[in-house]
Amino acid sequence: MDYIYSILTLTGITMIGVMGTYMVTGLTGQFSFGQAAFMAVGGYVSAMLALKYGVPFALAALIGSAAAALSGLLVGMPTVRLRRDYISLVTFGFGEAIISVLNNSAQLTGGAEGLVGIPKRVDLPLVMASVVVCLFLVACYKNSKYGRQCLALRTDELAARSMGIDVNRLKLVTFLFASAITGYAGVLYAFYAQYLEPGYFNWTVSAEWLIIVFVGGINSLTGAMVSAVILTSLPEFLRFASAWRIIIYCIIVLLIINFRPNGIFGDWEISRLWKKKTTVKGGQA
Amino acid sequence: MSTTTTRGLLEVSGLSKAFGGVHAVDDFSFAAKPGEIVGIIGPNGAGKTTVFNLVTGVYAADRGSVLLDGVSLCGRRQDQIAREGIGRTFQNIRLFKGLNVLENVMTASDPTAPYGFFSAILSLPAKRGSDRQEAKKGREYLSLVGLSGLEDARPESLPYGMQRKLELARALAIGPKVILLDEPAAGLNPSEVREFIDLVQRLHERFNFTIVFIEHRMEVVMNLSHKLFVLSFGKLLASGEPLEVRHNPEVIEAYIGEED
Amino acid sequence: MLQNIFFGLSLGAVYSLVAVGFALVFNILKFSNFSHGGVMSFTAYAGYLAYIMLFDGHISGSWMFLAIVTTAAVVGALTAIVIERVGFRRLRRNNAPVIYYFISSITLGILLENIITIFASSNFYSYPLFFSSNNIALFGTTFSVADVVTLLVSSGALIILLLVLYRSKLGLGVRTVSFDVNTASLMGIDPDLVVMATFAMSGALGGISGVFLGMNYSLYPQLGQLVVKGFVASVIGGLGSITGAVIGALLLGIVEVALIGVVGSGWMPACVFVIMLVFLLVRPRGIAGVIVQEKA
Repeated sequence: MDYIYSILTLTGITMIGVMGTYMVTGLTGQFSFGQAAFMAVGGYVSAMLALKYGVPFALAALIGSAAAALSGLLVGMPTVRLRRDYISLVTFGFGEAIISVLNNSAQLTGGAEGLVGIPKRVDLPLVMASVVVCLFLVACYKNSKYGRQCLALRTDELAARSMGIDVNRLKLVTFLFASAITGYAGVLYAFYAQYLEPGYFNWTVSAEWLIIVFVGGINSLTGAMVSAVILTSLPEFLRFASAWRIIIYCIIVLLIINFRPNGIFGDWEISRLWKKKTTVKGGQA
Repeated sequence: MSTTTTRGLLEVSGLSKAFGGVHAVDDFSFAAKPGEIVGIIGPNGAGKTTVFNLVTGVYAADRGSVLLDGVSLCGRRQDQIAREGIGRTFQNIRLFKGLNVLENVMTASDPTAPYGFFSAILSLPAKRGSDRQEAKKGREYLSLVGLSGLEDARPESLPYGMQRKLELARALAIGPKVILLDEPAAGLNPSEVREFIDLVQRLHERFNFTIVFIEHRMEVVMNLSHKLFVLSFGKLLASGEPLEVRHNPEVIEAYIGEED
Repeated sequence: MLQNIFFGLSLGAVYSLVAVGFALVFNILKFSNFSHGGVMSFTAYAGYLAYIMLFDGHISGSWMFLAIVTTAAVVGALTAIVIERVGFRRLRRNNAPVIYYFISSITLGILLENIITIFASSNFYSYPLFFSSNNIALFGTTFSVADVVTLLVSSGALIILLLVLYRSKLGLGVRTVSFDVNTASLMGIDPDLVVMATFAMSGALGGISGVFLGMNYSLYPQLGQLVVKGFVASVIGGLGSITGAVIGALLLGIVEVALIGVVGSGWMPACVFVIMLVFLLVRPRGIAGVIVQEKA
């Protein structure tokens, strides 16, 4: 039971991390190879606040997410105006830089041995509630003028600009929001696992999130969430060795890319089930 | 939404742009008075689309100036120029594939929609009200171009002629003073072309904006334009009333081998 | 000082092999090919396997080195051809957006890495010492033989590549396709063949760099993640530019060696990040200055 409980909790945390990747990749079409680093920022900042200064969890969580957003600003500002390839490079470099900083300031962060003794403040109900709230925020964002403009610029930046869309600003806003959400996933992880080590936030984690979003359907938040649940929890239950698990991942992704390029869900969203009606009603108005 | 505008004075002078030594546009000047319909014609590769790209800020001009109602657009970003009131369509239709037909039109009013980030993520009343307004306007634009009832369709599933109309509706939705149409009739069949001419004339009567268009089909050129500018190898070859330009020997020579 | 610069150059030479392998594919298909890292790991192990099973006891020293490098280059070329077939051929047919190439290449890279992990079970292996640890004395300082060989072999490989690109019919095809695929096929060039050849060349370079990286860092499945050095170098140099990639790689090598001297290897990645960020701000198009302009 404990085992299932822990898988569900970690799946929930992954879902929140994937939401950040979904925003950056699914909405603005950029590839963040360092998304996990924002998780590290959120986790470490909040954990150190709690450990060293006894800051209460809620406040630490808030500051942790804000710190992640701030680092998102640092990374995003110079990159949004560059070619899309660069953002993957810069985010990657940022991820490596964060890990090297964490490893090299042992007296502060515990270095490679990790940060231990974080109080346990997160349990399954809190994670589930967080998933619901974050999902609501992200879904509203997608469904607003921000989401529409993002989807427009993702398909065609030039045409988007000619509609008056400030492409760079929009990319930045989305990137910050995504960093904050990912940072919050880091907070949850820190106060659940009670232990943090730099290696956990490696670029392969970011790559795994990208793959999850892609498998679900790059245009679909619903798809990203379903695929996050399947791809994180199923292998755990099946108890594969991790290398085999990743190989299976990769083969699935290759099959999807080649034979079902829009992912499992394409751009279908669960909200269409009830949205259809309102559109018709609006049409008559 | 139908504000009869008296603005839309577009003055382009001495525009030049070279790509790696090739003068795509060379000292080209033209002007469109408010409410005027101006055609730019010329053989393939004459630099017509480049002129549009220079006016809308896709490329920065090497030399020359672009004034809209006396305000210089030089050095402005593409999105700022669009918000100044220059709408455009593209030669090779560029609709947003991830969005449905209505949302495509709404992207044009989204940049100026009056609500902020927190209203958006919390779906506050301000956001919902503004979105409803935008959707309503979007539907009106769609009905203007005759696409009512297709709001939920995917743009790429529409037939070619309708995609052209959708692009037009999207350009209308930014509330332009000047609208640039890049070969709007390309790929349309003869009956669609006539329909399109009617549509543009109707919209022009209604909004009285300035229209600058690039076109090869003489039917469109002769029916729509008040004034014509002929571009050849990046330079202005001739300009004037459509009929006089059509019988200009230099123009005829430039077009030899080109079908009309 | 001179010694350090030389060490930096030799490191940069390896990076330049990686970067050029990376730039070749970018040049033609306009995406950042991360599967290149997988090719590097894979060939490094293939070279090791050939050493254990074929060459050990028969040849030694420089000959052994040459045999391994050649094997790795051939394996690299073949692997890259397979990768192109599995990962990219269909995408080109479907005219898929760049995003897909990108994801496909990352996936293939991770796939190769994990296949190696399963078979080599994350053990560390290492190549034999090919060259006597003697140093060469020159200009009043000493240089290690391995560094000299690295520089020579890398330059040789790059010169051969440039000759192929600029002096052969195939090279002309590559340059034409990189300019515009459609025009190229109009001119009677078979783009499939050219793309395949480009991947083969890139893979061969990946093979050679794989062996060098294996020599420097010993063998481990994640060795290919050093592809990022090539990525950084080709961004600094200007994406898609071959000469830019070489210059960027040499600079990166020297800067890294210098940084290790100044701040230590632990802080080096953070410093490289800051330098890269500044570079992107000051000169986003890279040294070579090619801007890939979107067509309106």
